[in-house]
Amino acid sequence: MPKKWRVIAAVIGVLVLGLLLPTEALAHGVSIEYTSDIEITIAARYDTGTPMAGAQVAVYAPDDSSTPWLTGVCDDEGRFSFTPDASRPGIWDVQVRLAGHGGMVHIPVGEDTASTGGVGGYSYLQIALMAACVIWGSIGTALYFRRRRPA
Amino acid sequence: MKKKAIFTAIPLLILVMVLAGCPGGGATGTLEFYANGEDFVRQGFVSKDGWSIQFDHVYITLDGIAAYQTDPPYDPQTGDDISGDFTLRLAGAYTIYLAEGGTSAPPILVGKVLEAPVGHYNAISWKMARADSGPATGHSLVMIGTAQKDGQSIDFVINVEEECEYQCGEYVGDERKGILSDGGTADLEMTFHFDHIFGDADTPADDELNLAAIGFEPFASGAQGKDVINMAEMHLGHVGEGHCHCGCH
Repeated sequence: MPKKWRVIAAVIGVLVLGLLLPTEALAHGVSIEYTSDIEITIAARYDTGTPMAGAQVAVYAPDDSSTPWLTGVCDDEGRFSFTPDASRPGIWDVQVRLAGHGGMVHIPVGEDTASTGGVGGYSYLQIALMAACVIWGSIGTALYFRRRRPA
Repeated sequence: MKKKAIFTAIPLLILVMVLAGCPGGGATGTLEFYANGEDFVRQGFVSKDGWSIQFDHVYITLDGIAAYQTDPPYDPQTGDDISGDFTLRLAGAYTIYLAEGGTSAPPILVGKVLEAPVGHYNAISWKMARADSGPATGHSLVMIGTAQKDGQSIDFVINVEEECEYQCGEYVGDERKGILSDGGTADLEMTFHFDHIFGDADTPADDELNLAAIGFEPFASGAQGKDVINMAEMHLGHVGEGHCHCGCH
């Protein structure tokens, strides 16, 4: 038998063997799923180092600066944990308040380029104008090089 | 032909530069600036050394008020100056009567900027400056009132001449402030915590606030404001409950 046919026969044999194996063997397979949620823990303290135990916490998602996405209370160590919605990348703002004193921390989640409140971004009008300028410049450049030189 | 192209390009370029320099692409709203002495000024309070203080008048003069859109947000704890992507200034100096109105009076409107570019104004700065005219001339802060303790009543006038510059991040309170949308109105607040000067009997004696405050006893003994008040250590200026970076001279 030519070598080529021997290889083909071996491959077919392996496939047939695979089909004939008892299907119960697959029952030992496992299905493992995972999520990449990241839990964020803040630790709030006064300048003196005293934990802000029982402080009120308000968490704001990047796309809604006005309404808290989550509220809660710090534990005795001034700690508070939450898992931000990974589908809402940007800067997550966390406000902590206790007895007339408080502060905010700004935590980037997901895309590094995301920003808060539209600051630093471009409006649709600005983008349209910039695109028009680029197109206009390209056409002008092309026409400049295509024009006929006088003989 | 060449001239025509140039005359077309220049206005378009200017338009692009103007729009690029303004957040929101030309959309505007009204941004209001408020001053708030809180209930300490409106309702009075008991100092850390037991004096019941009622204010008749509190004059504070504010100058160089500016709002910022900053990315990343400004953190006053760093002690750095605010570096805003966009700055909006309220022109003029204002002497504010912080105790105006009744015990439940709202914060006092200092001024407003119409057609302010939209966006999130997440930082503010101002200067507590000596007044050039009016009832507080020559002083940056004037506190007039009555203090009582153990049957003793003292009418006081406390003048402060120091000038301080406050640089603050975002307002910290029940609601977020400074988020201005197209055609809308947003506000920012300059908040003044007078318990930082006199202390607060409702706060534990070993609390940092009371340890730093001078109380009222020195004034009851005849001390003048300039003798005992170091404004840089008082942390009078806040944004709601949020602290500010302060420099005085």
